[in-house]
Amino acid sequence: MRERILERVRRALRDRPRAPHPGELSTAVPDAPPPVEHFAECFRAAGGEVRRFADADGARRWLYGFAARFASVSHGTGVPGSLALPVPEAPPREAALGVSVARAAAAQSGSLVLSSLDGRRTQLLPPVHVVLVDAGTVAGTLGEALAACRDAGGAALALHSGPSKSADIGQVMVTGVHGPGRVIALLLDSWPGARP
Amino acid sequence: MEIHSREYLKRAREGGDVRASVTGATLSFDARRRAAYAGVAAEEWRVWAEGVKTHLLTHLDRYLEEAETRLVANGARVHWAGTQEDVHRIISGIIERRGARRAVKGKSMLSEELEVNELLEKRGVDVLETDLGEYILQLLEQPPSHIVGPAIHLSLDEIRRLYHETHGTELDATPDELAGVSRVILREAFLAADVGITGGNFLVAETGTVALIENEGNIRLTTSAPPVHVALVGIEKLLPRWSDLAVFLQLTARAATGQPVGNYVSMIHGPRTVEDPDGPEEVHVLLVDNGRSDVLADPEAWEALRCVRCGACLNACPVYRQTGGHAYGAVYSGPIGSVLNPGLAGLHAAMPLPFASSLCGACEKACPVRIPIPELLLSWRRRAVDAGMDSRAKAGLLKAWTAVATRPGLYRAAGGMLHALPDPVRRVPLPVVGGWREVRTDPEPSRASFRELWRKGIE
Repeated sequence: MRERILERVRRALRDRPRAPHPGELSTAVPDAPPPVEHFAECFRAAGGEVRRFADADGARRWLYGFAARFASVSHGTGVPGSLALPVPEAPPREAALGVSVARAAAAQSGSLVLSSLDGRRTQLLPPVHVVLVDAGTVAGTLGEALAACRDAGGAALALHSGPSKSADIGQVMVTGVHGPGRVIALLLDSWPGARP
Repeated sequence: MEIHSREYLKRAREGGDVRASVTGATLSFDARRRAAYAGVAAEEWRVWAEGVKTHLLTHLDRYLEEAETRLVANGARVHWAGTQEDVHRIISGIIERRGARRAVKGKSMLSEELEVNELLEKRGVDVLETDLGEYILQLLEQPPSHIVGPAIHLSLDEIRRLYHETHGTELDATPDELAGVSRVILREAFLAADVGITGGNFLVAETGTVALIENEGNIRLTTSAPPVHVALVGIEKLLPRWSDLAVFLQLTARAATGQPVGNYVSMIHGPRTVEDPDGPEEVHVLLVDNGRSDVLADPEAWEALRCVRCGACLNACPVYRQTGGHAYGAVYSGPIGSVLNPGLAGLHAAMPLPFASSLCGACEKACPVRIPIPELLLSWRRRAVDAGMDSRAKAGLLKAWTAVATRPGLYRAAGGMLHALPDPVRRVPLPVVGGWREVRTDPEPSRASFRELWRKGIE
């Protein structure tokens, strides 16, 4: 079957002039705001929440306060030990809160780049999702962010660019349909330990 | 493919809901698309995207081989499917080997084209559509009416009545409540499913990566939770390079819904690795031809293979906005369907779709990969007329019109005669235009012809 399909394709193209690849297209714009500020603006526009901290201490203080109202948490495998929450750990399908680490982020599209290495269920099943982001990994464009993750390893990458949403019921926007209804990006200007 | 457009149109005219829902949704999609194009260098992006897809299609054999090599290196299993029967055989094989009883599906137009749900049901597999719109349509046993918003032809009240009957919710339940009920049912389904089935928006040859765009998270879960993931990918859906993907993701989202990028994008290289804490053990990628290599061989129609299935041409189309997608009687509706279906299913089966357009050109202007849809519509029309598939009466009438309109003396005389006819004679039933007159008011002829007015001097 493989050969038959390839042969049909080759026959179809026999007299067709071959077009060159137009090369890489950068979507960067000259007067874009600095990436971290721009990311925050675009992520919020899609319904996401953003907090920015100078270092792990600031992030930990806020995170401990925030997590106090959750009965259980599921940590992604890449969450630094210094930022793990003192809340009972639960499997992702039962956890009230999921905490993950972003591989990178893209300002222009307001996207977090997540890796399957961190655990996909933690990224998807809990109703609230906190994503820790090393501010140094926030790129201006999606192209730059994906280029940085090309050889990240793992089975899959994903972009999360806001809370789960749908307008399939009578064109009315609802959030939290299948994925988390709340997603909060915590930007750390100084990352504890090795880069994610 | 069966076309029931006449019967459907009658229903669309009588029931106000479809028209109001479709018009409202498409106008809103189209306005968001325009605003999203205005926010970036859209012209540059579109010319570039056309170039990448043209390069891809003219080197398709090479990229198919490269994609296969990369996917296999990533641990995925690649299957080549020439026809729907091949697809059914491959999926049946996977189901039998895994002893699969339950399947969840992400929205996929290709799976509609290949009648995958029908196959699964025949094989005794419980299959649930997990996109909210598709889930609603599965309850109603209806096909999707739009590539991106499959249920845009349904009003909130129709969905409320459906959930009242099927799930016992109140008749005034909010969309949030209805989504909540669906979420509970589908969450269980994701976690219990033996296999997850999706399409594929793109397949990057260079890295062997299937990319899927969505907003709800149901595709993320369909490709993450069950132990087996099956992705159906049309052979035209490839992209050459990893660096092409970022622009195509953003351009497709802007064209489809006006978003900077789809809320969720899954980029799947293969099954879970030893370092991955979860994810499917098996990833199967089906490279599906099903008529596409025939379209590729067509010196005109092959341009339609650049399509990224964003639905922008449906939203821009003055015909689609009135009728919705079901009127087209085919899996792919709207302008792009009218040029794709004749190539995929055969012109005879797709008639009269190439004629279901006013040739206004709005579709081509909206298209993110600049498919010349009006030109392709004309190409299919010419072929239909040459093959005698179009109405003979219409062809005769047009021939007569041409004969009159290209002879000024005859034209003048005929115009004068039409004016001289008494009213009742003008109202007699005429062949060909009967269908047209059924739903429209006859124009009232002007007292004087244009030529007479011109001679006197128009005020």
